[in-house]
Amino acid sequence: MAAESIDVVVVDDHAIFRSGLKADLDARINVVAEAATVESAVAAIRSASPQVVLLDVHLPGGSGGGGAEVIAGCADLLASTRFLALSVSDAAEDVVTVIRAGARGYVTKTISGAEISDAVVRVAGGDAVFSPRLAGFVLDAFGASTTVSVDDELDRLSVREREVMRLIARGYSYKEVARELFISVKTVETHVSAVLRKLQLSSRHELTRWAAARRLL
Amino acid sequence: MRPPLLRPPEKVVAGVCSGLAVHLGMPAGTVRLLMVVLALVGGAGVVLYGWLWIMVPTAEEQAAAGDRNPRSVAENFARYLQQGQQSRTGAAGLIGSREILIGLALLGLAATVVAQALGAQINLQLIFPFAVIAAGAVLAWSQLDASRKAGLVAGAGADRKMGLLRLAAGLVLVIAGFLLVVSGSITWDVLLAASLASLAVLAGIALVLAPWAVRWWRAFQAERAGRIRQTERAEIAAHLHDSVLQTLAMIQNRAGSEAEVIKLARAQERELRQWLYADPEKGTGTLADALKGVAAEVEDAYGHPVDFVAVGTAELTVQSSALVQAARAALFNAAQHAGGQISLYLECGPEAAEVFVRDRGAGFDPDAIPQDRLGLRESIIGRMQRHGGTARIRTSPTGTEIHLALPLAGADAPAGQQKEAENT
Repeated sequence: MAAESIDVVVVDDHAIFRSGLKADLDARINVVAEAATVESAVAAIRSASPQVVLLDVHLPGGSGGGGAEVIAGCADLLASTRFLALSVSDAAEDVVTVIRAGARGYVTKTISGAEISDAVVRVAGGDAVFSPRLAGFVLDAFGASTTVSVDDELDRLSVREREVMRLIARGYSYKEVARELFISVKTVETHVSAVLRKLQLSSRHELTRWAAARRLL
Repeated sequence: MRPPLLRPPEKVVAGVCSGLAVHLGMPAGTVRLLMVVLALVGGAGVVLYGWLWIMVPTAEEQAAAGDRNPRSVAENFARYLQQGQQSRTGAAGLIGSREILIGLALLGLAATVVAQALGAQINLQLIFPFAVIAAGAVLAWSQLDASRKAGLVAGAGADRKMGLLRLAAGLVLVIAGFLLVVSGSITWDVLLAASLASLAVLAGIALVLAPWAVRWWRAFQAERAGRIRQTERAEIAAHLHDSVLQTLAMIQNRAGSEAEVIKLARAQERELRQWLYADPEKGTGTLADALKGVAAEVEDAYGHPVDFVAVGTAELTVQSSALVQAARAALFNAAQHAGGQISLYLECGPEAAEVFVRDRGAGFDPDAIPQDRLGLRESIIGRMQRHGGTARIRTSPTGTEIHLALPLAGADAPAGQQKEAENT
């Protein structure tokens, strides 16, 4: 993995943040293009066809949809290009909107350069990246207790998935989660990807509410 | 589900028929034909059309109304900017003369049909006054769709003047028309009819004023919403000045001290975040709020970031206050001895509240702590036990995690308080 570098497009409307991020990313990552608006982002992603797009949730331009609109504009590329959302916002609707649009992860901008590089590598490998806050949000949205009886398998977390989410919310890295639960890191990644899929496809009321409010459904 | 009944922007007269067609899922032509047929049957279609014209909002108005309750200040701000751009670019034109002419023709036709149905001989003398009345009414009614929102927000009077002019012209035309009707048949045996005609004049005035009143009310609402947005924007500017600009100035002054700058930036971030994203519906006084306050205290005291994640919520009670105090002690321990990033996680279930405080320090041996050190033994373990909860400590060379659990069931409350009383 370390030999080949990962092509990344950085999309953020703040030039200071973009240059800071570029300086922070380590040698595994190769920034091929930058963009500051919805339109330029879609154009840059189409021409550079990167493996990963680091995408700010709030962007000017387009019809006001921000990062989610960029993903929607590149919907046909989702198989080869993966999106990692970056934001300063903690607001649940921001998280839900961009994840349901198709992002493979959500991290806050206070994350360190090494952590974000790891996250990019992980997303490039097809895995999901959850911050503690996103994990906390998932637990909140899917109900913190296991007693909730929901018919649809998509609307419910398995006991194992819930355990993984709780540990991530408590600040554990994937490696630490694996050690804690006596499973492999690969299994942790499988669980997290399954949760991401549920987060994207579930029709639970808590999840659809924001999407409906933003006319994404 | 049917699409909502709205008057779309693409319209022939007022968009009533095309709106109905979309709502009922029928071709617009069929709806229009039906409306004309209804209009020919004693003018019912005209009445229905007018009524729908007043009651059914345009798509534009509906969109504006939907925007009235935004979730947060930040969103509101964004929406304010967006709307400013829209109203600058999309100042909708006044109603075209083509529409007035069509409306006039329709009303005239309906009036003729009504007269015929009443058995009156159709003659020019009668048609002319009715045509005048119809012209006046159409002139007044066309105000219903004139988009004056942009003008009102900007405080300009041009559109308002136009509206008044149209209102006056409409009134004059209608009254003149009715006078013509009366003067055309000024004999004793039609005195009754004449008094009826005066009533009709009043009805005509009401006909003219009704859409104006509706229009005025809608404009008033739009203006009020605009004013609220303006106030909010001023509030945002004031807040940014008091908080962010002051902090930036302080950071510039203390650029030499990294720890100090980090502390300032972190405190400012927390404050701004609270202001921008706090959900006013959730209210304060919950366990999560109390823990957030404690985390802020630790950040301010030591400058180590505390990453707080809360799942679920619970009311702050005597018992859960003890949980907060124990968590505070654990956070201070972590910040003091381990440093670096600290994770704080709260989970409130129906039966219990759990708190995890995790640091990434070198760990320690709980048994090696001297008896006289009260931090861990008294403030955390002892306090949790007194309130019927538990505290567990897991420590390793890669970090320490303190797990606090407290049952939340109401039945446990008296027992817990009793234990507390025994201890004090």
